[in-house]
Amino acid sequence: MISFKKVCKSYPGSPEILKDIDLEISEGELVFVTGPSGAGKSTLLKLISALEKPSSGSIIFEGQSLSKFKNKDIPILRRRFGMIFQDHKLLYDRNCFENVALPLEINNMSKADTYRRVRAALDKVDLLQKEKIMPITLSGGEQQRLAIARAIVSRPSILIADEPTANLDKEYAEEIMNIFYSFQQVGVTVIISTHEIPVTNINFKRLQLNGGAIQNLIGHVQLP
Amino acid sequence: MMIIVIGITLCLPSAGLLVIENASQISKNIEHEAEISIFLKKDISKDQIDFIELSLKKNSLVKKIHFEPKLIAWAKLQSKLDVEIGSSVSTNPLPDAFFISLNTLDQIKIEKLINNLDGIDGIDDIIIDGNWIKKLRVILSLGKLSVMFLAILLVIVLLVVIGNTIRLQTLTYKDEIEVSKLIGATNAFIQRPFMYTGMLYGLGGGLITISLLKLSVFGLNKALFKLVSVFGTDITFKGLPDEYYLYILILAMFVGLISSYISANNSIRRLKIYK
Repeated sequence: MISFKKVCKSYPGSPEILKDIDLEISEGELVFVTGPSGAGKSTLLKLISALEKPSSGSIIFEGQSLSKFKNKDIPILRRRFGMIFQDHKLLYDRNCFENVALPLEINNMSKADTYRRVRAALDKVDLLQKEKIMPITLSGGEQQRLAIARAIVSRPSILIADEPTANLDKEYAEEIMNIFYSFQQVGVTVIISTHEIPVTNINFKRLQLNGGAIQNLIGHVQLP
Repeated sequence: MMIIVIGITLCLPSAGLLVIENASQISKNIEHEAEISIFLKKDISKDQIDFIELSLKKNSLVKKIHFEPKLIAWAKLQSKLDVEIGSSVSTNPLPDAFFISLNTLDQIKIEKLINNLDGIDGIDDIIIDGNWIKKLRVILSLGKLSVMFLAILLVIVLLVVIGNTIRLQTLTYKDEIEVSKLIGATNAFIQRPFMYTGMLYGLGGGLITISLLKLSVFGLNKALFKLVSVFGTDITFKGLPDEYYLYILILAMFVGLISSYISANNSIRRLKIYK
């Protein structure tokens, strides 16, 4: 589904953030990208979601090189990913329903379909009863669930989460991870960057980054 | 606030246009009453006068002919001055004269007419009374140019002012723009609400301009009505033709649209939130 071939990323005047990354991610896989701060985890996710372009090498998505996409087509491509950020990136002047509806608004979906889909997404993350509430009044875990609802509402084939549990306590973190696992179980590719892998009985791929290079790539690990 | 700024700014050239349109209308009315005075030689015979009159009547450019015999002219002058000039002036110094009104002020046609008349025996001098209209028309066309120049300058001012307001709005909605871009919004999708805002500013400003113009015409005519009763003249200040109001509205909306498009586009690029 996604493959990296000798991908490097650097910014002018700074050392290389990612070096010679070779990677294959198959459809329906659960991938944990781990490593210390500054290892290049977020940059890797930005490259996957076409928020950044590689300095060299190529990224192939469903058989097509991302470098071949025109700038005007990148937003369309991005709609196929569901993205969740550490800082949620919610709009605090819109209520929960409106936040989740934003991707559908961008997709120009009809009001009736939007209403149905948003409510289904909110129900999935157990926030349906809070649809009219402003996100600022939600707890950290609820805000992250709301961000997940926004990511899944347009039914993406890939979910990308950048340290989604970093600011949450253990109980909330488990709750969030369980939501991701439930999507992986129905065939969605889930890529999560995290400092440490939570305990799970689901098969996953672990990509250990250190200093911008892959230190360890372990496939199909199943923790007890 | 922005709507008022647009309204007043557009009102300046529109008011100039209103004044010029009214002045042009007056000058057009005067055109048809332009006269040529034909002074005849003192020793002209009755036959020659009849011949000249016949020639004038045959000419299609001549609308009205009035013959003023020298004796009547002399008597009119004396009664106007309310003195008996006859005691100090032994002979009548005034010639017989034709005063003709023309259908046109077309310079070429008038020159041709004068050349034709100049060749007729018995005519001493021809004076065109419409020269001042020519000057007025030049002044009016200069006025129109000035109004156009002013309008262009003010449209540029509006582009800058609306553009700056939209730029500030894009900064206010920076988070929304960023999130929208992250989840796949195109620049066109992000720009659209700003363009609607710009267009609405234009519409509101245009409506204010039209209201101000209509109000000023109404006010001026009320004041002129008082003048009419004092001086007995018949002057009314006419508003711009209806299609001009439509043009003002379209121009205002267009300016709003263009400035917001440019500004939103530049601002989104400057925010540097991904491609």
